[in-house]
Amino acid sequence: MGEGVSGGWANKDSGRERYAVAGDGMLPLETTVARPSGRYEERMETEKGQLSQKAVAVRELRKTVAVGFRRRKVEILRGTSFAVNEGDVFGMLGPNGAGKTTALKIILGLMRPDAGAIDLGVARAAVGYLPENPYFYDYLSGRELLQFCGRLFGLPERVRRERAARLLAQVGLEEAADRQLRRYSKGMLQRIGIAQALINDPHLVFLDEPMTGLDPLGRVEVKRIIQGLREQGRTVLFNSHILADVEELCTRVAIMRAGTVVWEGAVAEAKPPDGGNLEDFFIAAVSA
Amino acid sequence: MNRMAAVALNTFKETIRDRVLLVIVVFALAMIVAALWLASISLGETARMMQDFGLVAVTAFGVIVAVFVAGTLVRKEVEKRTVFVVFSKPVRRGEFITGKFLGLSLTMAVVLAGMGAFLFLLTWLVAGVSSWVLLAATGLVYLQVLVVIAVTIFFSTFSSALLASVLGICVFAAGQLSHNVLSLSRLGDSALLKGLSWVIYLLIPNFSAVDIKPGVVGEATAAWDDIALWSGYLAAYAMVALVIATLVFNRREF
Amino acid sequence: MRRVFVIVALLAGLAGVAAFQLTQRHVTNADARVFVPSSRFYLDFSPSFRTTIADAYWLSTVQYYGEHLKSDARFDSLGAMLDLVTELSPRFVRAYQFGAYALLDAGEGQKAYGLLQRGWRRNPDAWQLAAAAGMLVYMYGEGETKVQIAADWYRQAAAVAGSPDYVSRLAATLLQKGGERDKAITMWAQVYAEGDEYARQKAVAALDELLPARCDERIAALAALDVPMTPDRRAELSAALLRD
Repeated sequence: MGEGVSGGWANKDSGRERYAVAGDGMLPLETTVARPSGRYEERMETEKGQLSQKAVAVRELRKTVAVGFRRRKVEILRGTSFAVNEGDVFGMLGPNGAGKTTALKIILGLMRPDAGAIDLGVARAAVGYLPENPYFYDYLSGRELLQFCGRLFGLPERVRRERAARLLAQVGLEEAADRQLRRYSKGMLQRIGIAQALINDPHLVFLDEPMTGLDPLGRVEVKRIIQGLREQGRTVLFNSHILADVEELCTRVAIMRAGTVVWEGAVAEAKPPDGGNLEDFFIAAVSA
Repeated sequence: MNRMAAVALNTFKETIRDRVLLVIVVFALAMIVAALWLASISLGETARMMQDFGLVAVTAFGVIVAVFVAGTLVRKEVEKRTVFVVFSKPVRRGEFITGKFLGLSLTMAVVLAGMGAFLFLLTWLVAGVSSWVLLAATGLVYLQVLVVIAVTIFFSTFSSALLASVLGICVFAAGQLSHNVLSLSRLGDSALLKGLSWVIYLLIPNFSAVDIKPGVVGEATAAWDDIALWSGYLAAYAMVALVIATLVFNRREF
Repeated sequence: MRRVFVIVALLAGLAGVAAFQLTQRHVTNADARVFVPSSRFYLDFSPSFRTTIADAYWLSTVQYYGEHLKSDARFDSLGAMLDLVTELSPRFVRAYQFGAYALLDAGEGQKAYGLLQRGWRRNPDAWQLAAAAGMLVYMYGEGETKVQIAADWYRQAAAVAGSPDYVSRLAATLLQKGGERDKAITMWAQVYAEGDEYARQKAVAALDELLPARCDERIAALAALDVPMTPDRRAELSAALLRD
C-alpha cells in the first residue's frame, strides 16, 4: 500500500504511470476520508476515465501544531473548507498566521491533518509546487536543479532535458542556467522555483507567495506565466497577500482568517455591497 | 530507483563540493610529517609503525568526517526547507533516506580510497614495504564508516545534528570496544550483568571483528572467512539502521 | 564544514601532543622508574587495539633506552616495558631482538635470555632469535655446558628454512676447540647484519677489538667475512672499522 498513514505517496508508480495517464487526459480520483474520532486514514479509489469537477476540495480541516521550545500547542486550522474548480485561478488571501501555508502543505501531503477530508482531483505526480521563500540546493546550478526535480518525477532523460531548456527560456534564466543557485538573486530564485514547479507539466499548480521579492519586471513576468497556465487549461492555486495581484489574476478567491475560510466565491462577487474594491471587502471580512 | 539515484547523486554533489576532499590533503600532510618522525624513532620498524598508526589515522579522519557530515544530511534539508521541494513530489521517505546514505557513501569512498592509496604509496616510498592487506584493511575501515553513517543518519531523524554526530562517534567507539563488552559478560556470576552485557554486545556493531591491523603488520593472519561473515553482519546492521530511520522519518511532518 | 576542520585539527593536535608525550621521558636522577601497566589490563581489548598499544609502547621503549643510555645508564623499567610490548604483540620479532641486547646493557642477562626464549617459542621461524640466544649463551654465559647449549641454539636456528649458511657452519664449528676468535667475529658480524643501530654500535665495538689492528690485515679479514649483508651495511661496517 505504500506509505500508509504518513500521508505520502500511496501509489509507488505514481511518478510514471500517473504521468502517462495524465497526458491522455484521464485522471484517477484520490479520496481521503477522516474518521469521526479525528484519526486520519487514506484510501485510494481509482475511477478511470472520470474527470473530477473539483481539482481540490477540502472539508473541515483541523490542525494543531506544537510550537517553540516549550511545545506550546497552537491550533492553526479550525475547520477549513474550500473547493477549487478545474481551470480556476484560485487565490487564497488572509493575514499572516491564518493558516494558508498550512492548508497548502496538508493538501500536498507534507503534513497530516488532525481531522478533515481532502479530495484531490489529480494524482500528486501531476501537481507542481512553489514553496514560500524558496530555498534550493545552492551548490546546484539552475539546470541541475531542474534535472534533479525531473528525476524525482521519474521523467525520462530526453524529456527532462527538453523541458528544462524550455522552462529556463520561459522564465528568462537561460544565461544563468549553469550558474550556481547561491549566486542567484531573490528574483532569479523565484523564477527557477516556478520552473521547477512546472517541470512535470502539472495539471494543478500551487504557488505560495509567488510574487515576493520580485521587481516590477519580474512580477509582470510571473503574472504572464500564470495567465499562460490558465490558458493552457491548468488549475492554479496561489497564496498571496498582494490584493491587487489577486484581483487581477484570479477567478475565485477564498479569504482565510484564524484557521477558517470566512468567505469563498468568484472574484467578481468579492466587492462590498455599497461599492468599493477587493481590498475593502477583504478588510471587512477579516476584521469582522 | 531513479528517484533514489537522484537523491544520491544530489547528496554526492553536495558533500563532495563541501571541500570534504580537503581532508585527504590534511591527512596526507600529517602522514608525511608523522612518517618522517617515525622513521627516526622506530629503530628500523618504520613500515610497521607507519601502517599501524597510519590506519589509525585513516580510521579517525574517516569516521570523524563521515559522522559530522552525516549528522547534518537530513537536518540541513529540514532547516533549509529544501524538504518541501523534495516531498511535494512523488518521493518516498525511504528513498530519500537511502539516497542520502548512498550519496555520502560515495563521497566517503573517494575520501577513504584517497587516504588509503596515499598511505600505501608513502609506506612503499619511505619504508619500501607494500602490502595489499593494507588496502584490504582500508576497505574494511570503509565498511565501518558506512555503518557509522547509517547509525548517525538514524539519530539525526529525531535529534539535532550535533547530538547525532556525537552519538555516532559513541557508537563507533562502542563498536571498537565490543570485544571488551564480551569479556565483561564473563565477569562475575550475576545473571543480570551477564544478560545486560549480552544485550549491549548484540546492540552495538562489532567493529573489532573486521579490524585487520594485526594482519597488516604481520602480527596475525586474517581469518578471511570470519571477516566475510562479520562484514555481512555489518552490512545488515547498516540496512536495519536505515530501515528504522525511515520508519521514524515517515512520521515526520514538515 | 569549518566546524569539521576545527575538530579534525584539534584532534590532530591532541594526537600529536599525546604522541610527543608518549615518547618523551622526563628523567629525574632520583627515580628512573616509569609506570608500566601490566599486560593483563590490555588483554581484554581487541587484537587490533593490542597491536597499536604495543607499537606505541615500542616507540616509548626505544626512547627510554636511548635516553638512559646517554644519561644515567639505569634501565629499571626496561624489562617491564619489553614484557608489555611482547605480551601484546607476540610476533614482534624486532622487540625480542632489540630487547635482548638492551637488557644485556641493563645488566639483566637472565631476563634477556628469557626474552629470547619466549620470542623463539612464539616465532619458530625467526632464526635470528635462536642465533641471538646462542650468541648470548656463548659470550656471556657461564659454566661448562655453555658451549653445548650455544651450539644447540645455532643448530635450531640453522634448521629454519631461509637461515644463512654461516649459521649452520657455526653450529658445526662451535663445539670444536680453537678458532674462538673467528667464531666470535662471525657472531658479531651476524649481529651487525641483522641488528638495529644500538646492536650495530655494540657489534662495531666488539669487532674493533677482535679484528687485527693493522689496516691491511683488517681489510683482508673484513673481505673474508662470510656473513651475508646488504652492500650498504657492508660499506658502513668497513667505514666504521677502518676509520684510522
